Amino acid sequence: MAKDLNAFRNERILTLVEQGEITICEAFIMMRKSSSPTTKGDVEISREERIAQIQRELSLLIGLKSVKQLIQEIQAFVEIQQRRISVKLNSEPVVLHMIFKGNPGTGKTTVARIIGKLFREMGVLSKGHIIEVERADLVAEYIGQTAQRTREQLRKAYGGILFIDEAYSLARGGEKDFGKESIDTMVKAMEDQRSDLIIILAGYSKPMEDFLQTNPGLNSRFPIAIDFPDYSAFELFKIAEGMLKQRDYQLNKAARRKLFRIIEDMKKKDQSNFGNAREIRNLIEKSIRKQAVRLVKKQQSSRTDLMEISNEDIGEVLEV
Amino acid sequence: MKRVIILGQANVGKTLFTLNFADYLGAKTINLSFQDSQRGSYTRTISVKDAVDLLVSDKPHHTRCLQSAVLQIPWGKGVKHFEIMDSAGLIDGIHENEPIRRAMAQTLATVRQAEMILHIFDCNRIAKQDILHGVAEVDYQVAQFGQLRAGYGVLANKFDLPQAKEGFDKLCQEFPGHCIMPISALYKQGFREVRDFVKRQL
Repeated sequence: MAKDLNAFRNERILTLVEQGEITICEAFIMMRKSSSPTTKGDVEISREERIAQIQRELSLLIGLKSVKQLIQEIQAFVEIQQRRISVKLNSEPVVLHMIFKGNPGTGKTTVARIIGKLFREMGVLSKGHIIEVERADLVAEYIGQTAQRTREQLRKAYGGILFIDEAYSLARGGEKDFGKESIDTMVKAMEDQRSDLIIILAGYSKPMEDFLQTNPGLNSRFPIAIDFPDYSAFELFKIAEGMLKQRDYQLNKAARRKLFRIIEDMKKKDQSNFGNAREIRNLIEKSIRKQAVRLVKKQQSSRTDLMEISNEDIGEVLEV
Repeated sequence: MKRVIILGQANVGKTLFTLNFADYLGAKTINLSFQDSQRGSYTRTISVKDAVDLLVSDKPHHTRCLQSAVLQIPWGKGVKHFEIMDSAGLIDGIHENEPIRRAMAQTLATVRQAEMILHIFDCNRIAKQDILHGVAEVDYQVAQFGQLRAGYGVLANKFDLPQAKEGFDKLCQEFPGHCIMPISALYKQGFREVRDFVKRQL
């Protein structure tokens, strides 16, 4: 019965193509859906497969070549240390606290999430969850409360990753600021809870450099520093395409060219504080709204119309 | 008998590859199966040499019918047979010409039955025109569909042309994790790898 239904559906796809109702791409998507193997159900997926799946997720991120390579290195290192332990060789203690440096919207949080999952599967972390905090979550108003508050966040993060966004702000207030107290508490916890907690300090490149220089102890305690480079124009274009695809939209040819040109222009215009992937998302969302305005005037719209973003829908993000 | 289908955009060299590959594996004749709105479907058999003159052209959408040939690959002391099928070029969007649309529908119908997909690209076009135009949306869709099959290989055609190496590198970047084989359909280069690839899947 199910087979008949499938055959009928496939027949229908072919007729639609022949009549010029749908494009070949859409036909392929439909065919893929109807011929994809039935879900595996509750078959247990092995650990290797889960790790491979996480790696695939990482490799699907656009650009970030050096980041991917570093994560591969870390993964190999951890794996080998574990193997060495199993044959009773001396092994280095695995210290995996990290520093992420990069402009906003370059994928720091996304990568941190993937690392959390990866380390859980590899057995480095027991839970692999990620707690995202900023200065306000760690530093309190009055003397003596900061340590408590920081400790509370640390307790939440045990077994996973404590991701401190804009970490340089902890040292911004000068000598008397409570941020220092928070750092001290953290350093203590890092020494005590070595094995089951990873702290990631993240922030913009320049302030992070200054932050690390003013706290010499930090550099050695965070042995892994990952730089997140800005995306190139082509990478940003690919990201835009990916975002549109996720939302079930597609660009026509003229729109592709225009979008690429706009991204190139944006990139040229302000090198220093270009918002990268987040800016692209704004651009895309704006063009989706513009497309909606264009279509709402028309009485009827086909499926292709609803999916297609044409070049008049794409405009630059307005300056505020 | 396993079936191999050759897919790709218009004018990347699908037909020439099919015919020359058939020739390389020692086939003498080739079947053409037409689908006509008046006469229904019918088949003709002609020799490979005639077919090259008749079917290969440098204009896009020259192939309107399904061409197939039964080929054999040496296997141990005997041979194994498989069927190779040429198809009409795929495009993004909808073609205004009805016979061409019908040819594409016929191609899709065959894709579903085929066990193996060989996906052809034009290296030179990729190098010349930037990846946005050398690789079309439909190519990505074919690649994704191909992953459902055990045998999915990417052929980088026109490798004899000067800029082809550049295009090949771009192609490798664009489709990581696939088996990408550089070939020249015109000069029959790189056919041994393709043969071995097909052989592994039989």
